Amino acid sequence: MQVSQDMTMARAEASATTVVEARGLDKSFGSVIAVDKADFEIKRGEFISIVGPSGCGKSTLLRMIAGLTPRSGGSLSVNGREVTGPRGDVGVMFQKPTLLEWKTVIENVLLPTALKGRVSEADRSKAQALLNLVGLQDFAHAFPRHLSGGMQQRVALARLLKIGSDILLLDEPFGALDEFTREHLNLELSRIVSDANVTSVFVTHNISEAIFLADKVFVMTPRPGRLAAVVDVPFPRPRDLSLLANPDFVDLVARVRDIFSKGETA
Amino acid sequence: MSSSANTNETRSWLWRVNPTHAAGHAGLLVGLLVLWETGSRTGLLDSLILPAPTAILAALWQIAVVDRLLWGHFGITLYEAMAGFVIGSAIGIALAIGAALWEPFRRYSAPYVVGLQVTPRIALAPIVIAWLGFGTTPNVAIAALLCFFPPFLNTMTGLLDVDRDLQEMFRSLRASKRQVFTQLMLPTALPYMMAGLKTAMTMALIGAIVGEFISASEGLGVLMHRFTFQLNMAATFAVLVALTLMGLLLFALMEWVDNRIVFWRHDERMQEISRKRAAREAGRAATETPGTARVAPAGRT
Repeated sequence: MQVSQDMTMARAEASATTVVEARGLDKSFGSVIAVDKADFEIKRGEFISIVGPSGCGKSTLLRMIAGLTPRSGGSLSVNGREVTGPRGDVGVMFQKPTLLEWKTVIENVLLPTALKGRVSEADRSKAQALLNLVGLQDFAHAFPRHLSGGMQQRVALARLLKIGSDILLLDEPFGALDEFTREHLNLELSRIVSDANVTSVFVTHNISEAIFLADKVFVMTPRPGRLAAVVDVPFPRPRDLSLLANPDFVDLVARVRDIFSKGETA
Repeated sequence: MSSSANTNETRSWLWRVNPTHAAGHAGLLVGLLVLWETGSRTGLLDSLILPAPTAILAALWQIAVVDRLLWGHFGITLYEAMAGFVIGSAIGIALAIGAALWEPFRRYSAPYVVGLQVTPRIALAPIVIAWLGFGTTPNVAIAALLCFFPPFLNTMTGLLDVDRDLQEMFRSLRASKRQVFTQLMLPTALPYMMAGLKTAMTMALIGAIVGEFISASEGLGVLMHRFTFQLNMAATFAVLVALTLMGLLLFALMEWVDNRIVFWRHDERMQEISRKRAAREAGRAATETPGTARVAPAGRT
């Protein structure tokens, strides 16, 4: 595809550009420290997984980048601008599909556009194309209630892509789905975002899922929520499920798990 | 997808008669009527207390068709109930929106709401009549007073029941406050509102009739009063039948409106809408680019 060629070129050329930068990023809720002095950078086109047990502050970190949760201290900028609230260059996908049950699938995909102004014919074609992309071409006029959980999350993914932001934040988007559906959707997600030239930040508590999807894995340990390590993932793309059985992959999973056990004894 | 809002899944057994059971329903009804009729004719039932079904039917024929006495009163009662319903519900919904959007109002009005709610509001009827005099106006007011609460409480509950994740989603899309209200809060509240309005409709009819009982010159309540004074029980029951029919009419109207407005609580309606939209889309695609499908089906890469 011509598009993806352009994108690989764009990616190579812009590989040095930092899109998210955090210095001493802090968040506390009362006396509880959710995120403790995190320093990190995310480069354009990267796929970052944030992995950690529940309560390690991974969702809080994501929500701070999204501008949904204000930080308590430190600095955080996206595309060179300080984060002060929700913004157009960042799109969020939640664990629940968060679809409007009174709107059809295509109307749900068009919601971000409708909230910004008028929906043009071009927008409708674009929405239909995105539905094709996520494999829901025949369900444009169905209502969310008539779709399975996995299909509802596909709609949410199409809606996320319709926002047109260059940074996608995914907060355990397939966490509520069964193992098979999740693996399948992870594969598709990986294909879709690498075609779309976007930067992705994916939160999960599943180590192998985190590694499978990512270029870099941010490992977080709880109490207080700390960015314990950044692990590079060297496997080439496109990846398929056979990677899960690759010895190097298994080693990497073990290494990440090790960081958690050290974090606990420390 | 709030599963908590199942206020509207109640069409169910009342409304739907399963065709395989239709014979059973008809048989039971006929059986009961025959039993009642024989009871009356054999003198087992005092016809001053419970007139025979045929007598009631004859009386209905008399007042509805022969004397044409019924219709004017029917219209008056229907008007009082409907006007009271519209006024009471409108005030209820308006106040609920105010209370949901403005916390201080909610806080300070709560004790009065509870106070008014625990007062048997029908007891206000004589006071309202003392204020507003005779005629239909006090009865409209009583109907409005009685049906105010269900839409008020339900609308407020619905507006405050908005799914937190959906709110976050709207926030992340930088929706304005107005958009959050019109596109998220209001649709969330609609099924609750409709459930409240259905109850309100029944209450409004009760209010109108009670008002007529106390003091009025026209309306089905007046007619019933008059017939009982004449010890014309068959005619009294005939008016009751007319009231039941009015209630059924209003109930059906509300069901129809519910089906239209909160279509996403009715599977058949949703499927119908899906089909229509898909057909329209297909039609448009065919006229725009004849011969070629506008959207390549299953074009997966």
